[in-house]
Amino acid sequence: MAVAARRLPFRGLYAFSMTELRVQLHESTAIVTSLILQVVLLLFVYILDRSLLPVALFGAILFSMFALGQRVQNEAAFVRIDHKLNELYLAGPLAPEAYFLGMSLGVLGGYLIPILVLVAATFYLVGISLTTALVLLAAAAGLWLFACSFGYFVSTLFRDMRTIWPYASIFYNLFGVLPPVFYPLSYWSGPLVPVALVVPPSAAAALVQWTIGWAMLSPWELALAAGSLALEGLGTFLFAIYWSRRTVREDA
Amino acid sequence: MTTEALLARDVRKTYSSRRAPSVEALAGVSLVVHPGERVALLGRNGAGKTTFLKIASTLLMPTGGTVEVFGHDAGTHPDEVRPMIAVVPQEGKPFFHLTPREQVFTYLRARGYDGAEAKSRTEDALGQMGLTEVANRLSITLSGGQRQRTMVATVIATEAPLLFLDEPTIGMDPFARRAVWESLRTLTRRGSTILLTTHYLDEAEALSQRLYIIERGRVLVDGTAATLKQELGGSLRVSIPNGERLSEVAKTFGSVLNDGEVLHVITTPERLPELMALATREHLTTTVGPVTLEEAFLRVVGRSIDREE
Repeated sequence: MAVAARRLPFRGLYAFSMTELRVQLHESTAIVTSLILQVVLLLFVYILDRSLLPVALFGAILFSMFALGQRVQNEAAFVRIDHKLNELYLAGPLAPEAYFLGMSLGVLGGYLIPILVLVAATFYLVGISLTTALVLLAAAAGLWLFACSFGYFVSTLFRDMRTIWPYASIFYNLFGVLPPVFYPLSYWSGPLVPVALVVPPSAAAALVQWTIGWAMLSPWELALAAGSLALEGLGTFLFAIYWSRRTVREDA
Repeated sequence: MTTEALLARDVRKTYSSRRAPSVEALAGVSLVVHPGERVALLGRNGAGKTTFLKIASTLLMPTGGTVEVFGHDAGTHPDEVRPMIAVVPQEGKPFFHLTPREQVFTYLRARGYDGAEAKSRTEDALGQMGLTEVANRLSITLSGGQRQRTMVATVIATEAPLLFLDEPTIGMDPFARRAVWESLRTLTRRGSTILLTTHYLDEAEALSQRLYIIERGRVLVDGTAATLKQELGGSLRVSIPNGERLSEVAKTFGSVLNDGEVLHVITTPERLPELMALATREHLTTTVGPVTLEEAFLRVVGRSIDREE
């Protein structure tokens, strides 16, 4: 008997998240090795100036959340370009926004394990107060929302995988490593501070650094960092929902 | 409102690009698929089959014309169409890091089936596709044919009202192809409708109840494989390599089709000995067989289905 299904917003989100989570968990090597860059950077910091370790540890957590955008970008592009599975899933009752968000949640679920390892290491080595924990959680959430939404959007712009890799690498390293994420905001000269406060990874890092006393932020600067991160996170997320619906058709 | 499973009227599609000349992929395709039918779109590579399927499955907008799926316009009301369809994409692959069992099961869950129903359908589809033995192996370790079977299993498990299959048996061995054909026949008996594209003539003949031959974005002919063969005017095909010089006299024996260096003569059993004798006198070899869809295709399109532009 043929069965028709109704279409609802975010329909299939949970199931598709679980699908993507299974995919990620089967790639355990990639999950384990995702820690390497952070560990290497932490090692450098420890050798050069171990007093900066608290900043670098929180930076590593935030960078890990930001880097999930690159993973979403590569996964979405690979699934579309190489596997053509977007056609299988989107020409069906699964809502396009559930496809985008489910993929992002699945990737998050898989990579939560190394991120929690970093959180545990931070807690053990430098301690995490309740205020810091709450700010870290909110900042990480905003950063993740921005990164995975942006990553999904970028994934739809390319037609072959070889082109997408270098762009992904440039973007995520340029904005995740270069600004004050692994090092204190105070290392940036005054006129550049507002720039750091509107770039999502360094805005998130500035907020966390403020809670641990490594960044002196005026109320205006606090509002700028928190406001821009919230706006960028929510704005790109809403745009990604719109974009995921629009790009179901490949000639949209 | 129509009750046809699929009704396409004058569907056109032109791919425009700033860097390259525009390409007219569909130049006015009209066709109908009745509920419960198995219909094949037959054509050479680049004929427009996949473009049509993408438009019908809401993945592409037509430049002109309309496609209705169970009365809903695929262009303007895709959200009504999508729950009623399932698609095997051309050259699609399952998630490399899922097993076939996980692939089918999770896809059914994403379509809204509850766990028990999804599990039962998964096992049934894997069994039909002969994948039970490899059901717990990651797809990355499977052969190309097994991956393709996983894709087909994923879609047939849905029993969606309308299934689109774009070259569903590509890369499969003969046994697997027959298993797919049998599963698709079962699905239509149970109420689903199937539109598939293929450039395998035997597949179109064995599987479809009707077929459309498409060439350069146009439907050239439609009908059953039997009627298309009947129109050739004979039941036997005599193939004569390098037989070009016999083409004039061969016309007295029946239809003559020229496929590059091979002359095909469609004739009757009564005229066969005479034609064979003629070829022998000219020191030409001959191959004799029953008329197939290949000759019908050659007559309609003017070239073999395997020949590229």
